[in-house]
Amino acid sequence: MNHPLALIVLLPLAGFLLNGVLATRLGGDLLGRKLVTAIGCGMPIASFVIAVRCFLDLQSGGGAALVEQAYTWADVAGRTFDIAFYFDRLAAVMVLIVTGVGSLIHVYSVGYMKDDASYARYFAYLNVFLFFMLLLVLGQSLLVLFVGWEGVGLASYLLIGFWFEDADKARAGKKAFITNRVGDAGFLLGMFLLYQALGTLDMDRINAAFANGPVPAVSASLVGILLFIGATGKSAQIPLHVWLPDAMAGPTPVSALIHAATMVTAGVYMTARMSGIYLNAPEASQVIAVVGAATAFFAATIAVVQTDIKKVLAYSTISQLGLMFVAIGVGAYGVAIFHVYTHAFFKACLFLGAGSVIHALGGAQDIAKMGGLARKIPITFATFAVATAAIAGIPPLAGFFSKDEILWFALSSTRGGSPWLFAVAALTSLLTAFYMFRLLWLTFFGAPRMDAATAHHVHESPATMTGVLLVLAVLSAVGGFVALPHYLEPLLPLPAVQAPLESYEHAVVYGSVALALAGLLGAAYFFGGGGRRAEGMRRRFAGLHRLLSGKYFVDEAYEGFLGRPLHWVSDRVFLGLGDRILLDGSLNGLAALARRTAGALSRAQTGNLQLYALLLLAGVVASLAWSWRHG
Amino acid sequence: MDKMQLLLTLSAALFAAGLLGVIVRRNVLVMLMCMELMLNGVNLSLVSFAQQNGAVAGAVLVFLIFVVAAAEIAIAIPIVLLLVRAKRSLDLEAYADLKG
Amino acid sequence: MIESALLYLFAASALAGAVLMLVVRHPMRVALALIATMLSLAGVYAVLGVHVIAVFQVLIYVGAVMVFMVYVIMLLEMRDRSLARRYSALLVPGIAGFALLVGTLGLGLWRDAADAPGAGDSAAYGVQSFSIAFLNDYWLHFELVSVLLVAAVVAAIAVLKVESASRG
Repeated sequence: MNHPLALIVLLPLAGFLLNGVLATRLGGDLLGRKLVTAIGCGMPIASFVIAVRCFLDLQSGGGAALVEQAYTWADVAGRTFDIAFYFDRLAAVMVLIVTGVGSLIHVYSVGYMKDDASYARYFAYLNVFLFFMLLLVLGQSLLVLFVGWEGVGLASYLLIGFWFEDADKARAGKKAFITNRVGDAGFLLGMFLLYQALGTLDMDRINAAFANGPVPAVSASLVGILLFIGATGKSAQIPLHVWLPDAMAGPTPVSALIHAATMVTAGVYMTARMSGIYLNAPEASQVIAVVGAATAFFAATIAVVQTDIKKVLAYSTISQLGLMFVAIGVGAYGVAIFHVYTHAFFKACLFLGAGSVIHALGGAQDIAKMGGLARKIPITFATFAVATAAIAGIPPLAGFFSKDEILWFALSSTRGGSPWLFAVAALTSLLTAFYMFRLLWLTFFGAPRMDAATAHHVHESPATMTGVLLVLAVLSAVGGFVALPHYLEPLLPLPAVQAPLESYEHAVVYGSVALALAGLLGAAYFFGGGGRRAEGMRRRFAGLHRLLSGKYFVDEAYEGFLGRPLHWVSDRVFLGLGDRILLDGSLNGLAALARRTAGALSRAQTGNLQLYALLLLAGVVASLAWSWRHG
Repeated sequence: MDKMQLLLTLSAALFAAGLLGVIVRRNVLVMLMCMELMLNGVNLSLVSFAQQNGAVAGAVLVFLIFVVAAAEIAIAIPIVLLLVRAKRSLDLEAYADLKG
Repeated sequence: MIESALLYLFAASALAGAVLMLVVRHPMRVALALIATMLSLAGVYAVLGVHVIAVFQVLIYVGAVMVFMVYVIMLLEMRDRSLARRYSALLVPGIAGFALLVGTLGLGLWRDAADAPGAGDSAAYGVQSFSIAFLNDYWLHFELVSVLLVAAVVAAIAVLKVESASRG
């Protein structure tokens, strides 16, 4: 195979074109459902197989990066911008996650979207998302990454607003796209600065330029912060996190793939990839760590009171992403990627499990109306429980390993670790365990709180869905044993540990396990047995509960401080003044002027022949005089 | 003054007088006749130049102008007749229908 | 000597006729003044030596055009307003324009007085040479002129038809 990397990227694109054109109304509904499924799932699986092959080639080559030049995009006065693919260890991990988990979710969608009318459009969009995501992770230059970055934003918009006939869902898609774009402004500024200083956007060459210390031509901190602003938008950190909970309006497999496993981790990937800059930018790294910790805690507190099963998972995602950024902020880039890897497994499993629950209940998402499902949908319950334990950090499941590393480096890293960071992260872990077990309890245990008709209807999901759940549950269980940070070390070295704290490593491990178990027990205490104690707590802390339920009223603040003034300016200034008075007024004024001039001139048409003759005479005299003057 | 100047001055005077007549006289028939006067004035200048030049083409051109004047009057008179019948007046001020 | 005296005489009478045309009230008298002018012009042509043209002036202009004109004046003997009030509203502007025109033309004429190279060969304007030239070299113009006259006749008839159609 000559161009395996290009093939990995282009196969999903082919799937998109085939399904998108031929199988929809655009092309005349040419392909039957089986063929759509075959193309839609086959392409990602094929990409995965080729990715495995490339991974094996990478290993046999001792980790030397595979580079593929695909196409020269532009040549401007001798400076070229190429589309090239770069496959090193970090890219290998990301590609395997994207194609592997992506293929699983595609297979799951076969069962989940079975009754949907726009089946082909769904798979087309899902494939185009994969195409852009693979461009993002395989791109050698920031430019290709940015193309992928924008493209996944587009795919996200298309998929969130998949059922666009519902205005709310369409609006959610719009919100996601626009919030993303705000972050992209920062990203672009960072790219411009880098290009101006270094003359290249190739990420490996940028890292090499920063390898020997800060580059005087550009402030690494400034670039670091600007790039992080882009990551904030894409990975839903404060203040651009507002789109992710609303994005739950899309189909559940979409939430699993895009808003849990892959797209939102693009920000983490990008900052990890630019480690060369961040190693030289302690201020930027500090900002990242603080923002990440704040987001993690903030989202976790909101998740405790949410009643929609998908919203709980959405806030959980924001919180976990915050933890990943904490790891980035203290220089433990490999650990952040490790958490991306484990998070992909258990969060996808959780989302797909939620999808299975929703499917079983015929569309209900309110956990206040669930309960007692454990025995009715056992496979879903079992996988959901395993994934919950994984995210809570119970050993020896995957989440335990990655979260423990994050906590350890948050405390002890010489590149920014501090007790405060550790405290916030630890508190967040406690809350994570608490709300996840709360979710498990309220959904699956206790007496059923749904109406009788739905209760009758509860059934286990088809094999395509439960099979995927099982695979992901197994991966969540054993995935942690792959020592990813160690594997990525040649590329992303782990930070040194502060000397006095070296002996505390085991203490931190035991502490994190304790936190997980505390969360489990706390949830059991409050929500087991009918949840009366939780009810009591809610009444006692009603104000706090309202604040948390209202998501700290961030959306309302944005609407008030940004939305309404912008609307006012658009309406009064641009529409009223600019459009109506200036533009229309000038055009109408011109027309009126023409009319008045014509009216004035038409007074010369008196119908009096002699007047015309007189005017003729005047004209003759004038022309004679003129010609004799200048003759 | 010499012959040429006299003739050209006369021609200019006749032409100007004819034009003045078109502008100031009210009767439509008088106006027509003033137009004939204009033609005559121009004809005079043509003849004097032709005679100065000596080529016979000048004479031919003058003859053609005669014919054109005759054809013109042959059309103009019926038009005036129609106008007069429609408006029942020989006064030019009554014919200002194409106002505006 | 006598030539130039005759020239002056005829010029003066043509001018007098033109002036009369402008001031006389009755259209019939205006027509007579015009005839006088035309005859004076014929005289001028004759003095210049272009006899053919002089004869044609009398024949065509006076004999056909002015006769037609007189006929129409007699036909349309209408005592209407234009008899009482000779001049239109544009008298003053008209006179001003006339003065300007005359001034401009005179200025152009008298400023650089072109030296006249003298009278031409009057033999060229004999009937014989004229006819030969007309029917040999300028035969196309001759034919076209005939077409023009036919067109004029057709137009006059068309006008007549319109008139009779509108009346009956």
